[in-house]
Amino acid sequence: MPRPTRTVKEQAKVDLSKIPAHVERVNVSGLLRTHNDYVMKAAEGLFKARNFQDLMIESMNAKSYLHELGIFKDVQVRVDVSKGENASPNGYEITLKGQELSRLVGSVGTEVGQNEGSLRTELSIPNLFGRGESVSLQGSYATTRANELQLRFWKSFFHTRFVENRPEVSLSLFRHVDRMDISSFQNANLGFLTDFSINSLYPFELTHSIQYEASIRETSLLAKQVPFAIREHCGPKLASLVRYSVIYDQRDNPVFPTQGLMLKSVNEYCGLGGNVAYMSSTTHGEISVPLIAGLVAQVCGRIGVIKETKNTTVLPISSLFYCGGPLTLRGFKYGGAGPVVDGTSIGAQTHWCTGLHLWGPLPFNHVFKGLANNFRTHLFYNCGGFNSFSAENMRSAFGVGLAFKLAERARIEMNYCIPVRKYASDKPVNGFQFGIGYEFV
Amino acid sequence: MQSSQYLSQLNAFEKMSDEPWPEDAVLYQPYEAEQILLPEHASCLAVKAYLKMCQLPFEVRSCANAEYMSPGGRMTKLPFIRAGAFIVAEFEPIVNFIEHKGSAIGQWLDDDNKADMRTYVSLAENIFTMAELYISFVNKTVYEKVTAPRNGCVFPWPLNLIQNYSKRRNTLRLLKVYQWNDMTIEDVIEKVEKCCETLTLKLEESPDTPFFYSDQPCELDAIAFGHLFAIITTDLPNMALAQTVRKFKRLVEFCQFIDGKYFQMSK
Repeated sequence: MPRPTRTVKEQAKVDLSKIPAHVERVNVSGLLRTHNDYVMKAAEGLFKARNFQDLMIESMNAKSYLHELGIFKDVQVRVDVSKGENASPNGYEITLKGQELSRLVGSVGTEVGQNEGSLRTELSIPNLFGRGESVSLQGSYATTRANELQLRFWKSFFHTRFVENRPEVSLSLFRHVDRMDISSFQNANLGFLTDFSINSLYPFELTHSIQYEASIRETSLLAKQVPFAIREHCGPKLASLVRYSVIYDQRDNPVFPTQGLMLKSVNEYCGLGGNVAYMSSTTHGEISVPLIAGLVAQVCGRIGVIKETKNTTVLPISSLFYCGGPLTLRGFKYGGAGPVVDGTSIGAQTHWCTGLHLWGPLPFNHVFKGLANNFRTHLFYNCGGFNSFSAENMRSAFGVGLAFKLAERARIEMNYCIPVRKYASDKPVNGFQFGIGYEFV
Repeated sequence: MQSSQYLSQLNAFEKMSDEPWPEDAVLYQPYEAEQILLPEHASCLAVKAYLKMCQLPFEVRSCANAEYMSPGGRMTKLPFIRAGAFIVAEFEPIVNFIEHKGSAIGQWLDDDNKADMRTYVSLAENIFTMAELYISFVNKTVYEKVTAPRNGCVFPWPLNLIQNYSKRRNTLRLLKVYQWNDMTIEDVIEKVEKCCETLTLKLEESPDTPFFYSDQPCELDAIAFGHLFAIITTDLPNMALAQTVRKFKRLVEFCQFIDGKYFQMSK
């Protein structure tokens, strides 16, 4: 039955690209509630195969494509010779046997946010109408700051001819509570969000996302004694905003890159109706250059600006930028290098910070074998400031630390920090500081 | 943690009496022309009257989110004053705060009279506030024509609908706590009538003097004036409350006297 595979096994040196082959039939089995046209694209590449090597590669592509569609739990590929009356000698028949996801999928897990861990539960109904539409209900409860509940509907358009652009549309209802203990207020955000994301490929690959958000933001206080400047912001407000974010990412690894550039920019315009108006923009960049002996030099930077528009009465306190913290300006507490009102830190209208790193592997890393790949050591120097881009009220710190990679996405850092330039109102950390997150400066 | 909080509160109270009333005290309230509701207007007026009677300088500042800025209270949460570092809301806490500062009126009353006066104050405040809340939120025409548009006017659609809904729900809950929720309008009028009668009797105990207790104002004068004056001067689709109060000529005269003495003069 599987004639070609046996040939391969027996004569290992056979050049598969010289064996002519073409696909005559592609079967996708296991489709219970998925519509046929949704998986059509999987067969497209297979029919183009002219030799057996192409055929194998294309069938692997088809398998991973079917996985990406998000309808199957598991996909098996079977390659067989073509049978029947019209079968040609080099004809093959491919069967992609999938096992659809069950109607209801639940999961519980932990997630890493910016300097916090959270417990996340999710209940989803995948492939709702048979063309990759999904609904999920998600709740997350974080240790320090944010709690979230979200009902999300999304649909990807990978089955259309824009598969390369990976278009995806989503709609969600959310409730997000963000506690800012450092400023003694919390912001409860209830609203809906529509998102359209797409990749553009020329001249280089960019990931775009355009969002519209309408939400009720209610600021309330967490303590009795709160500076009046914060108290003034209390009460519910209606925000209606568009957000455009674009990412350019050519790094070789998201957590410990050895080379490559990443740029990310998030821009918001708020004030399409509602009574909150502002414009804000945040840009984050990092570039890594490999040096000798596994050492990597890295430069990171971030800039954030929030500006009044002509409808602005007051800038929302929850959208201001907090300066300092283990993920940005190490050597200071979170928000501890920013403006202060009556002894309480609040956010700034503009902020910037940069970091210079020299990353190196763990010493004696060959002793620990694979485990050591998850660790890096670094020397860093970072500086930052707020409300002006001069070096005048700049804060800076340097130090040395150990970083641990968590699941290809997040990073845990343990640093010994020595603040160099600090001001009387700051809250510096002279000593060990712990940071966990996915976007560091 | 808990005990240190109490300690700091205690310290705060001790500090309170040391510092005099600041020159830049501010009274926060909702916008008077567009936003404020009858019960809030009444309690703001009462506090203003009290501060004027004490001859303490203050500035009135209107802001749309005054209710949310308030540190909280028993009924309307409004108005609140900011005196130096202190923020105090509602009539009784403000009166207590001013007494700590030592610049309160009514100190000349003996203890018996003081306790007596306190009873009247809390009676007047409870009955009138509940009646005002009742007419504003339970009476359908008043709610739809006045309360809802005014309460929602500072919020854009659809937030105004949500805010109106939640405010009404909270108010009904409060009325339920005080067991006013399943009264009819007749019951409410009867209660107000009784309260007015009591106040008239008290006022007539000293017929020669304009105030409740002899010839000097006290808290009772401020709270009675605030509520009665707000009720008789606010136009509502249902004037049952105003009509009830107007039946008591002596109280109306008292309101006009206080208004003339403390409010018209300053204009």
